[in-house]
Amino acid sequence: MAKVKNPFIEALAKVAESQDISSFKKIFDYFSPRLKSFLMRSGADEAIAEEIIQETMTIIWTKADYYDPKVASPSTWIYTIARNKKIDILRKSRKAILEDIDTAILPPVESKADENIEHDQKFEMIAQYLDDLPEDQLNLLKMNFFEEKSHGEISEITKIPLGTVKSRIRLALEKIRGKLEQDGTMANLNEGNNSSIN
Amino acid sequence: MTFEILTNPTNSQASLLFQQCLAEIVPENKLIQRAKDEVSGYFLERIETTDVSDDLWMKVINSNESKKKSHFVLDTDPFLSQLPRTLQAHLLNKKINWKSFKDVKIASILPKEKNEKLELIHVMPGAKIPQHTHEGNESFLVLHGSYSDEYGKYKQGTVQVRSDDHNHTPVGDARTGCIGLAYTHGKIKFSGKFGKLLNLVAN
Repeated sequence: MAKVKNPFIEALAKVAESQDISSFKKIFDYFSPRLKSFLMRSGADEAIAEEIIQETMTIIWTKADYYDPKVASPSTWIYTIARNKKIDILRKSRKAILEDIDTAILPPVESKADENIEHDQKFEMIAQYLDDLPEDQLNLLKMNFFEEKSHGEISEITKIPLGTVKSRIRLALEKIRGKLEQDGTMANLNEGNNSSIN
Repeated sequence: MTFEILTNPTNSQASLLFQQCLAEIVPENKLIQRAKDEVSGYFLERIETTDVSDDLWMKVINSNESKKKSHFVLDTDPFLSQLPRTLQAHLLNKKINWKSFKDVKIASILPKEKNEKLELIHVMPGAKIPQHTHEGNESFLVLHGSYSDEYGKYKQGTVQVRSDDHNHTPVGDARTGCIGLAYTHGKIKFSGKFGKLLNLVAN
């Protein structure tokens, strides 16, 4: 069953190519409230959280042409921008040090809104893998990467031995890494190179 | 070791830059980095929403600088071009203040914050790599060239974590010398009931 392409890939492409405000609004409407929860959970107060969102959205607006759908899913790209911005702003000096590290010396990506480009499903496969993980395993990943907790802290909180925490996270990461290496387009999948899509 | 570093929480500019450089130099690490970020993107989509202020959208629209910066580096400094792009981007248009110690040059990459330091260390061929002088652990990533000590040779992409009681004499490669990124984080002291445990964990 072919999965529908993530609508934000198209939205980002439209912002990049024609500064399309309504596409940008879609991105804002969907991601701002989620970013706000993420930022406040990680320690920002409401005003700072909104400041970080504002700067994140500005970066998306001005650098949408750097987004490459082959490299990351839209939510991942947006997450990393916000995460870097959060670190910059929450530091004493507030210097925008991390803002340009991904874009300052790379050329912009060519248009990816082309319908003829085969839809790479590897990100959907990763989401499916995560959907299927037992909840306590998924929780380990969430605590380590999304909530920025160290392995030691996770072990403390969950009462799972440190070694087990590490090996479970490592295993999951290796699996996901493997999926990133694959070419998830239909042509490749039909050749039976990868596990079947559902 | 690399796995440890790559899955350590990064909540500082220094630790993030260090992690990005490590990920950039070794392709396998880069994919691990991306795997981590995909997991976070997944959770971002599924987190509950918190309403934003009514005027936030207007603020965003009105504040946007629509001019795009020119992002190609046309004039490449031969030294900079050896470094990971992450660092190149950070150092773009900035003057690097090298401090010389015999055959070694050291430059601070970030303003010092709390007990964290991020430094670029340029070691001439055959020169001794200085031991850090203050309390804490130092993660040393080889960006270019290599160095050796009594235990082996450390090439581009390797990270060695040295505590302050570390005893070895590292020497830059006789032919290429070595360029390294040193991330030093002082020992954080925790007090109270869980002090001992947290000290172990944090360090």
